[in-house]
Amino acid sequence: MVQTDKVLDAKGLACPMPIVKTKKVMKDMGSGEVLEVQATDKGSTADLQAWAKSSGHEYIGTETEGDVLLHYLRKDGANEVEETIEIPEVSLADFQARVENGDSLNILDVREQEEYDEAHIPGVKHIPLGEVENRMNELDQNQEIYIICYSGRRSGVAGDMMAKKGFKTLYNVVPGMRDWTGKTE
Amino acid sequence: MAKKTAIIASNGGLFEAYKVFNIATAAAASDHEVSIFFTFEGLNLIHKEANQQLPMPEGKEHFEEGFKKSNVPAIPELIEMAQDLDVKFIGCQMTMDVMGLEKDAFVDGIEVGGAVTFLDFAQDADVTLTF
Repeated sequence: MVQTDKVLDAKGLACPMPIVKTKKVMKDMGSGEVLEVQATDKGSTADLQAWAKSSGHEYIGTETEGDVLLHYLRKDGANEVEETIEIPEVSLADFQARVENGDSLNILDVREQEEYDEAHIPGVKHIPLGEVENRMNELDQNQEIYIICYSGRRSGVAGDMMAKKGFKTLYNVVPGMRDWTGKTE
Repeated sequence: MAKKTAIIASNGGLFEAYKVFNIATAAAASDHEVSIFFTFEGLNLIHKEANQQLPMPEGKEHFEEGFKKSNVPAIPELIEMAQDLDVKFIGCQMTMDVMGLEKDAFVDGIEVGGAVTFLDFAQDADVTLTF
């Protein structure tokens, strides 16, 4: 499950209504916020993917609950990819070696709450990607920070946002928790 | 720059109405600038009275139930939505003259123009469709 900022009930509506309603709701949302669109129109999956692509939003994915499709979209998510600052990457193996060596690292985990609850590296700072923009001031811009997510994609996005706001030394751990074999809590 | 979609609506049936307005609203929702040129029987689609009861093609009347079951919005509803999304409606002056219709017979907010009005918009459109 993705943490959502807004839910749109488009159940029972036929094409093109789910798209039209999504467009209207999305207009009033903030950049980076996540919208959950509940729809029963089976064409809505392909439609919303195409719509997100052409309107610069990120299509996160779709889950199915009975007959209802739950689509997740992040506002303006795709635009940020165009002008990204790519922060340097560090391999998971090197990163893990340093963690296990007892180096005191500042680690930022940007996965969703549920993923974090399931398992995370002990002592990490947790800010879901959707909140990074507003909460990055909880971190020190001048410190070295290792950003991690599940695969390395979201951590890259977070790194890009933070680098733009003046964070000096950021590393993207690639891949991420997907292949982490070290200690968790 | 926004993409442009130019549509010519020249038929007056219910099926055409859905083709025209579904594509138009979907395009507008995708941030396209959309203009529809209504000409000949296409004018029925925006005629205040005619568009309440557009005919199904002969022999296809049994689809009526399907429309209801699928919860497809009524045409006047789609028109309102399209206008809400800034879809521009252009009524064909020549057809209106031929049919003896005035602008106030049509839904509010339409423009009336000739072929050139539409061509001017359509010449650099990214998508051009005729129904």
